[in-house]
Amino acid sequence: MLIFSVFKTLTDQQVTVELKNDLSITGTLKSVDQFLNIRLDSIKVLDEARHPHMMAVKNCFIRGSVVRYVQLPAEHVDTQLLEDATRREAAAQQKR
Amino acid sequence: MDSVASGIQEPFDLIRLSLSERVFVKLRGDRELTGVLHAYDGHMNLILSDVEETIMIVDQPEGAVNGPSTVNIAKRKMDMLFVRGDGVILVSRKYIKWGAALSMSY
Amino acid sequence: MASLQGYVDHRVLLILQDGRAIVGVMAGYDQKSNVVLSDSKERVYSMEEGVEEIPLGLYLVKGDQIVLIGELDEALDKAVDLSTVRAEPLPPIRY
Repeated sequence: MLIFSVFKTLTDQQVTVELKNDLSITGTLKSVDQFLNIRLDSIKVLDEARHPHMMAVKNCFIRGSVVRYVQLPAEHVDTQLLEDATRREAAAQQKR
Repeated sequence: MDSVASGIQEPFDLIRLSLSERVFVKLRGDRELTGVLHAYDGHMNLILSDVEETIMIVDQPEGAVNGPSTVNIAKRKMDMLFVRGDGVILVSRKYIKWGAALSMSY
Repeated sequence: MASLQGYVDHRVLLILQDGRAIVGVMAGYDQKSNVVLSDSKERVYSMEEGVEEIPLGLYLVKGDQIVLIGELDEALDKAVDLSTVRAEPLPPIRY
């Protein structure tokens, strides 16, 4: 839930999604759901010469389960807020 | 028991006490990260900053299963990174050298 | 929600877990992101020859096999002469 919220605060920001098939896709984060499926707009594939498969694709839906990393814009991430929220969530988990 | 160890009742406590600290993360696919931990959840999804990734690429000559293999190491840096939990093998406070981490997982 | 709503009746490219690339018109989908494509074709990439298109017709793809669904810019896609495109097939997903 915490990570889902983080991604929601980053909508309309530029991110780079690296998949488990080594494809890296940069684009504008348009939406995310609870499975961390991601929709990107205005996408660009890294090393397009080697990966022309998505030449004519402008926006895409990425299944959360195939994501390895997402590179986030550091200037839009409040790390103190993240740590506090993580501690709160960890405490709530332990009470159960 | 020292002061850090006494606060640890379950595995995730170890990760909680590493928030805002530099951690070492071993991942599937012969990858390792170091970075400052800012967030995690029960799936071990992580958010790290100031990340250095190390990828070990093993080149084994075709057909030679037990033959000589060369190991190449690639490194790259990233400012702020979300890591999906399903790839995480271990998270530790201290930096573990290549050989040590490998012998722990295989 | 990262939904597939906007893709219905649009030409899309599906990348699958095994590395296959399939294009077609999205006829429908469900909660588990199972997808039905109409007039679909597999695009087979290789370094030896241009892209080969294999007609698959009406095709159902299970959601858990899908890596990515991309909306195709039809004008841009038609402008590409696939017989001149040479590329390695996409690698399969490795967990």
